[in-house]
Amino acid sequence: MQMNFLNSPKWIDVENWPISWEIGGTAWFPFLESIHVIAAAFVVGSILTVDLRLLGIAATKYPISTLSRELVPWSWGAFVIATITGLGMFITRAASHVVNPAFQWKIFLLALAGVNMAYFHFRVYKHIAQWDMTSSTPTQLKVIGSLSLFIWSGVMLAGRWVGHII
Amino acid sequence: MPEFFTNIGLLLDGSFLQAGALWALRTIPGFPPIIQTVHILGIAIVMGSVVMLDLRILGMAVPSQKISEMTSRLMPWLWWALASNFVSGAFFLFGRPNRYFNNPIFGWKLSFLIPAIGLTLFFHLMSRQQAGYWELSSKRLWSARAIALVSLALWILVAMAGRWIAYVEYIYYPA
Repeated sequence: MQMNFLNSPKWIDVENWPISWEIGGTAWFPFLESIHVIAAAFVVGSILTVDLRLLGIAATKYPISTLSRELVPWSWGAFVIATITGLGMFITRAASHVVNPAFQWKIFLLALAGVNMAYFHFRVYKHIAQWDMTSSTPTQLKVIGSLSLFIWSGVMLAGRWVGHII
Repeated sequence: MPEFFTNIGLLLDGSFLQAGALWALRTIPGFPPIIQTVHILGIAIVMGSVVMLDLRILGMAVPSQKISEMTSRLMPWLWWALASNFVSGAFFLFGRPNRYFNNPIFGWKLSFLIPAIGLTLFFHLMSRQQAGYWELSSKRLWSARAIALVSLALWILVAMAGRWIAYVEYIYYPA
């Protein structure tokens, strides 16, 4: 069932879309890729401060809520750009990407990053008043912060590895 | 490319530095993508430190943070990330020196990187000399904004050029 999805000839159809040919055969591809790298670095760079704050390592003078409110929208904005440019590159080699283990890891880790973030925002964030100002954060926050750091580094590594396998 | 530049490539070619870099790249399993990821994580810190500071100075981001406080808090992160990127980048540079020192985009990258470092260092040093240096008068604040705009463009161009080094064929040898 799952293998049918990944081996479906539909992915070849995606590669044969006129836009896929246009991107893959022109300077559009490196252009999208360089934007993708900058946007991805920005996602990680902006979220890094929040993660390190959750760990009590950096920016401890600022309330977690303030950092989160001011930085996370930048992460999301950059993430949208990274997703659009990523999709642009994906469609040029869709059939190869879906069976590429590095690509599969990347998607899995992105989903995991999403779960970690959702857990923080919907489960933990409502109790924010208790530890918003303290620099020594509770274990729960330290776990969320370090998971975020490791998962996003994993996304970068898997993303970079995609190009070494394809 | 200028001759002194290509000569650096020739000098490194066949040196023990090249031998060491190639040994690491070829022998350690997964070393090329791992060290590239370290390099990109360094770029992420560039984005999260100096680029975010530039956006703050331009009035676009993190309004609750003060410019002087951000500068003293974030600049050490930037310098360590750059040091790390010199090391991670050196593996590739030393591994194939002629590839880089004959590559016009690598030349562009350095010509963005050197002024970017100079400008950021100047900004940091002035800020260290006097607390709140860049916010003490409207003239200084406008200078800071001009610096931030140029710095922002330069750091983005450094990262962009880095990626384009591998695509130099597209530009100089179109099919």
